[in-house]
Amino acid sequence: MSSFFKRIFGDVGNPLTDNYAVNRMRPPGAVDEKQFMALCIRCNRCLEVCPYGSIKREGVSPTIGTPYVFGENRACYLCMACMRLCPTGALNKDLRSPEKVAMGKARIDKSICYSHLFLREDVLPDHTGGKIGAICNTCYNVCPLQERAITLRQNLFPEVLDGCVGCGICVERCPTRPRRAINITPSGMGNADEAGFYFQKAHKHYEKSVDQASKKAQTPETGALNIDQLLERKQTLGGETPTFAPPSDVIGPATGSE
Amino acid sequence: MMRRKFRTAIRAFAFCLMFIIPILNIYEIYAITGTYYAVNLGGLGVADPSAILQSIFAAGSLTVPLMGAALFPVLLALLFGRVWCGWMCPYLVMSDGVNRVRRIWSKTPTQQSIPVQSPLRANVTRFVFLVIGIILAGAIGIPVLNYVNAPGILSAETMILVKNHRFTIEILFILSILLIELLLFPRFWCRLFCPTGSVVSAFKTPLTLRVENHIKNPKAPCCKEHYCFGVCPMGLDPYKESKDLLCVNCGKCIDACPYDRLNYEGFMLSN
Repeated sequence: MSSFFKRIFGDVGNPLTDNYAVNRMRPPGAVDEKQFMALCIRCNRCLEVCPYGSIKREGVSPTIGTPYVFGENRACYLCMACMRLCPTGALNKDLRSPEKVAMGKARIDKSICYSHLFLREDVLPDHTGGKIGAICNTCYNVCPLQERAITLRQNLFPEVLDGCVGCGICVERCPTRPRRAINITPSGMGNADEAGFYFQKAHKHYEKSVDQASKKAQTPETGALNIDQLLERKQTLGGETPTFAPPSDVIGPATGSE
Repeated sequence: MMRRKFRTAIRAFAFCLMFIIPILNIYEIYAITGTYYAVNLGGLGVADPSAILQSIFAAGSLTVPLMGAALFPVLLALLFGRVWCGWMCPYLVMSDGVNRVRRIWSKTPTQQSIPVQSPLRANVTRFVFLVIGIILAGAIGIPVLNYVNAPGILSAETMILVKNHRFTIEILFILSILLIELLLFPRFWCRLFCPTGSVVSAFKTPLTLRVENHIKNPKAPCCKEHYCFGVCPMGLDPYKESKDLLCVNCGKCIDACPYDRLNYEGFMLSN
């Protein structure tokens, strides 16, 4: 059977058990994806007990009926209620502390994060013509594991640390639209050797979008500076403070700060 | 008559439980949780034995929680046979309802229009379906028969309905098999495919509760009215086939027999 899948999908594995998507995590305590798909009997007890309604039953997909947390919709608030109810051990019963959950890892997209934009470009027009680019730091403020999972470097921009458990609260609250500036890569997905068909597809899409975004965002004078230089520039006062045009005037694309 | 009221009450309760459990859980009462894939009754874990069987093959390992969850349903099946199907399963309740609707306009009685009339062939069909499903589950590592577990899907859908006020796509499976039972093949799902029913009936022993005819080995219907034939939800002819694996111990034939020739027999009822 595995050779059959290999012939169809090349070396990327079984699309039924290697189904990953960004911002779509298994409930906390889930064993590794292959084992989870074998053990989960779709009884939806985790979904039932979830007090926040975070866990959802998956719709049309190879993993139809299994539980997921969709970070963009409603994140997991790490109440640790679901895993003790799992009848088959697809969720690890012995897990008690929220710090040990491993649903995924957050990753900040620097090309659209408001704080990073502010660091690089001060103020930018967004797609509606309004001014964006400010010290937002929502992801830091909502994180239940502050300073373990996420930190503010120089009180200016957020940075994800190794303690991130992938609960997705930052994704839920991130203000950028249509794409979130912070996204969760579910655990298992990042490992390219084990991840299969859907990972490869998702990864290609991700790379493509990052390429496009970076092409758009690149400006000649800041493109070469690394993050430390940018920080330094922000901290040395002087230079002109950006002046804001009255919002009623700005309808077309504004031409930066004058 | 007493038996029928008792059974109706239990079935109604089991059906309402699909709605009661999520409502209780909305009010944060977690004494009873779960769906008909797996229920937790105050700490006692009970799971669908067909789901457990698939998980064992798919995961390739035997774990304590898996075995513990299967213990109670297996015990129930050893003692009382397919009482899960006949006395509790919410899908059979809906199937009965569909069949009642069908009887209003259909000229041919249900018993003559069911597919695969022979009980032996029906049994072979459903066990082959079960074995193929389990082999597939072992091969691709996913409990595939859970995609078609009618009572489980039904209760999961009612739970999502109560909690989130919507259905997921899987409700279409339930609706389509109900529609097929209504228009084409009455009673086909429970008789020919249901994996849970197959696994439960595999635990039938000589001591298990069963329906017996007091007239031993009747060659022809033992009364000329032949009341029991029309009522069996599994399409059996109870006067001679009551001990078949298909029997769900619902007792409809016992109620239908005016001469009290059929009765329950089993581990403690035998004289």
